[in-house]
Amino acid sequence: MLVYDVQDVVKYYPGQTKAANEHITLQIQEGTIFGILGDNGAGKSTLIRQMVNLLQSTSGSIKLYGHELKNNPQLVPQLVGYMPQRYEALNNLTVDEALYFTAHLRGMTRNDARQERERLLKLWQIEDLRHKYSSRLSGGQQRIVRLAVAAAGRLPVLILDEPTNDLDPLRRKMVWDILRQLNADYGTTIIFITHDAIEAEKIVQRIAILHDGRLLVEGSLSELKQIVGKKMRLELTFTPGLPPTLPEGLTPHEVMPGRWLVMLDWEQVGPVLSALSREHCDDVRLYTATLEDIYLHYVTA
Amino acid sequence: MSQPESSLPRTYKRPSLLTQLFDIFLIELTNWRWSWRGMLITGTIAPLFSLLALSIFARDSGPYSLSYVLVGNIVFSLLFNTMDNISSHVLFMRRLGMLDYFGTLPIWRPILIFAILLAFLLLALPSLVVMIVLGSLILNLPLHISPLVVLVVPLCAVPLAGIGAIIGSRIRLPQEASAISIVLIFLLSALGPVVIPPERLPSLFNLLGRLSPATYASSALRQVLLGPITGQLAIDIGVLIGFSLILTLIASRLIAWKEQ
Repeated sequence: MLVYDVQDVVKYYPGQTKAANEHITLQIQEGTIFGILGDNGAGKSTLIRQMVNLLQSTSGSIKLYGHELKNNPQLVPQLVGYMPQRYEALNNLTVDEALYFTAHLRGMTRNDARQERERLLKLWQIEDLRHKYSSRLSGGQQRIVRLAVAAAGRLPVLILDEPTNDLDPLRRKMVWDILRQLNADYGTTIIFITHDAIEAEKIVQRIAILHDGRLLVEGSLSELKQIVGKKMRLELTFTPGLPPTLPEGLTPHEVMPGRWLVMLDWEQVGPVLSALSREHCDDVRLYTATLEDIYLHYVTA
Repeated sequence: MSQPESSLPRTYKRPSLLTQLFDIFLIELTNWRWSWRGMLITGTIAPLFSLLALSIFARDSGPYSLSYVLVGNIVFSLLFNTMDNISSHVLFMRRLGMLDYFGTLPIWRPILIFAILLAFLLLALPSLVVMIVLGSLILNLPLHISPLVVLVVPLCAVPLAGIGAIIGSRIRLPQEASAISIVLIFLLSALGPVVIPPERLPSLFNLLGRLSPATYASSALRQVLLGPITGQLAIDIGVLIGFSLILTLIASRLIAWKEQ
């Protein structure tokens, strides 16, 4: 079943001559983990604010389960848990209160809302924060609380604006694990935006890449890899300061001191590896193209 | 290719209006956690000082003028505690994303406005009680409190709160909202017989005062706190109900739930 059907959506902010997004068309199937990838200012947050009906589109249509959003303002509150990039709406509340009130206002009975609060505190590993005010938490803790609040009431769709920003690697892993679990256990459709392709690759099933307000491409990870071609990613580590010794015609990029990246066609792999001098090369890693490569391919094309 | 309308996944039923009102009222009451110092200063101490200063000038002018000083400063306290605080609160709700939070919950939106008004009215009550008790002691005015005070106090607060919500829903910067709110507080107090008896005001001020909810609030409060109750109270209550409905409706329409 189609959850979101976005058709030819355009947004001009008042007084602006440049569109924040232009002719965006995409469809999101039920139960998908859908990543919206793009650099800063690509129009990602604008698009999802339109998708949660908090921002009016200049033109185009957005349907949720086949129902036009602008004619059905109660659809998003009934079906979508939304986590904005930043907000301080719950600053006066303790974590306990924020979870309970959100679950209760989403229609759970008092008892169910209390149970939901306990479940969320445990699931998101924030039991020790339960009596603290949201405003007193660190940036990372606040983000986890907001994720838990968005997930309160187990709505069928979750829309998350940069869910792992401000988080340390352990918490980032926890967030992706929980989101995967929600998707697997309840079939929750998860739509998230990020500018971090490496992070997105850990969880995403389908991806849309936005750049400068336009949708460059949309598809599954394997489809996009096929579009990019069967490129291989060769990472080489040389002693810092020494230039890489590679066959002619290749253009390596130094990603950090001593570490070089070369994109190769499949047929180039054998000759390049044979030509490498093992004396000067400290480490060799060969991968298929990553989401980051796909992203860079489209954005820099 | 677009899809025809399909059946929606089963979710929870939207909570009843009473549940929505109660929950949001409790959420809004938590504003006490940050605002109590401000409310204490602007809602009690500032009007008390104003009352003390005015009482020095009005002491010899008799109980009639003193009744205006007392009730006028109670209205002054209500203006600070409801209009000023609500204008700041609604503006901060817009800026901090609280409207996004409530906008994605299955609630009837005017309920949010009612809950804010109720919460700030309750938060204003302690200051109001302090003002009434201390004011009557300082000015040596005996209180004759009518049970109608239970109806009149909320009716005095709601229109002022509605003006605050309108300011907060339209103005972009807190400094601008605060400046407009302060100017309005003084205008509403000065235009019309709020702090000063009508006989001592220019006739233009008395005329303009008829358009101000503060005038009717002052008149109604004076009757239910100090007596005697006259036929004017029915007019005051009627006008305050009208102001309450109109200003609350305007406020809930003006709040930008959806960014343009």
